[in-house]
Amino acid sequence: MIYLITALDAEARPLCEYYRLKRDTSLPYTLYRNEEIVLVVSGMGRTNALMAVSALLGWRIPEEKDILINIGICGAPSEYRIGEALLIHQILDGDRRYYPDILYSHSLRETSMRCVDVPQSVLSDYPVDMESSPIFQAASRFFKLHQMAFLKIVSDHCTPELVTKEGVIELLRSHVNSLDTLISRLSAVQKQPPLFSTDERNTIEVFKTHFTKSQGSAIDDALTYFRLRNKGEFPPLNPLIPNSKRERSQLLEELIATLTA
Amino acid sequence: MDHPQTQMIRRKFADSQVILIDHYKEVFNRPAQSFAAQSHSKKLILARKEGTFLHEGSQYSDGFDYQQFFYASSIMGCLYDCDYCYLQGLYPSANTVLFVNIEDAFEQLRPYLGKDTLVATSYDTDTLAIESLTHQTSMWLDFADQYENLYLEIRTKSANIKSLKSITLNPRVTLAWTLSPQEIINAYEHATPSLEKRLGAVVEAITLGWKVRLCIDPVIYTEKFAILYTELIEQVFRTIDPEAIEHLTLGSFRMSQSHLRSLKKLRRSDVAFYPYVVRDEMATYSEAIETHILETLLAKATQYLPKERIRTWQRQS
Ligand code: SF4
Repeated sequence: MIYLITALDAEARPLCEYYRLKRDTSLPYTLYRNEEIVLVVSGMGRTNALMAVSALLGWRIPEEKDILINIGICGAPSEYRIGEALLIHQILDGDRRYYPDILYSHSLRETSMRCVDVPQSVLSDYPVDMESSPIFQAASRFFKLHQMAFLKIVSDHCTPELVTKEGVIELLRSHVNSLDTLISRLSAVQKQPPLFSTDERNTIEVFKTHFTKSQGSAIDDALTYFRLRNKGEFPPLNPLIPNSKRERSQLLEELIATLTA
Repeated sequence: MDHPQTQMIRRKFADSQVILIDHYKEVFNRPAQSFAAQSHSKKLILARKEGTFLHEGSQYSDGFDYQQFFYASSIMGCLYDCDYCYLQGLYPSANTVLFVNIEDAFEQLRPYLGKDTLVATSYDTDTLAIESLTHQTSMWLDFADQYENLYLEIRTKSANIKSLKSITLNPRVTLAWTLSPQEIINAYEHATPSLEKRLGAVVEAITLGWKVRLCIDPVIYTEKFAILYTELIEQVFRTIDPEAIEHLTLGSFRMSQSHLRSLKKLRRSDVAFYPYVVRDEMATYSEAIETHILETLLAKATQYLPKERIRTWQRQS
């Protein structure tokens, strides 16, 4: 699943059109989704972002292959072009700093970003937004750092009063391709496919119920060893389980020896 | 930022993204990093070390009976990516931290140099692998030149010994190459030079007059262990004159239980999941397998070298 977070409805609109996202009422937040993507509109500011992301991720807990992207507009110093897409490698929030891991190649401009409490009318040293830090903090409880990205589009040079809803829609619309590319790059970062199929996992779990906890971990380890060494199908795990403790231990010993030979 | 080494390295990476940080731990010690994912895109963190560079040698390694044995740690992390490496269990990150203030390591070492002291400069990393970037090995060699009691061991899998060519020979410095069968390199020692390249570097270092030690350590036990490792010893001594090396070190895989636990969590390699025997917090092969490994290798190695020049690591029972 791809989790997209925007602060504003206007930021979400072009994405909903492009990805054909449909409104979903499962949460008390503006939520859109299709088979692969879920988008939440958090509302502006720290508290809104923190609550919306926590609610979203608590509602649908991310899996290992999932990613999260915060996309939206930001104010920036004048050396950043209006309309330029920025990929954030450092979020500065007071004396705290957060670092999403960028482990893929890309052609976007990378930069640090300051997360602030109110729209800024004074030029800062870095681009500014109001949600990146709480989104990072909430999401990093669920995602590894390389599964998150912060894509910001420069909307103004710290003149927030000049930013219009139509302008925001246009800025986001002009960068759906940047988002698309980012999604595929982020998704392609090395992921470990599960070692065992669901059926295999179930068989293992049933088999383990006949043994103690530490014997169970030894079975897991030996099967993992066997699979990682690409030895193919593992031996059947449904022999007659002896009643005596001693015989069970012997059975286990033999199985581990076979798997790790 | 102003340290000459920082500037030199930044010049080499003129096109790279630079992120200013306050302390290396801000990035290196972050929670929720993925060692496995980062291994494919390692970042370099330049920092100034505040504490000591020197640590006493551990029970997992051989101190060669010097009066004092330290290892110096000016780099955290390694360019190479070996599946059996305990760094994966030690560090939360696959990135590399390079401490640029190596001169402080020399200052910290100076008071000890009244006695014979061995310093392993490449103990929990491979310094030679990034020598062209850091020049730290050259700096160690220059420093060692001035102190008669200082012995260095530079352990490596690198094939790049360019930096040694311009340095005056020092008989108190040992270059130690870790060698493995090519099949083991392919399976477990990612991003490292091939056996052939390593052997080429060994030959070159010997020709230049450096003292060389060879390490077949850690030996990874697989069903083909005996064939792979006896062939390795044959290949090594077909290429290298046994008389030209100081020692051959043999040792089977071993790791602290806590590092092994972290390695398992990464689920990267079968090495972590072998049914080791854990005693006194140390995971090793069973005594029978360990003995089998050593006997097999010793039998082969003694065809080329007298036993006195073969060092072995085995758990003290
Ligand atoms: S070369 Fe040594 S330090 Fe580097 S990854 Fe391999 S085992 Fe670890």
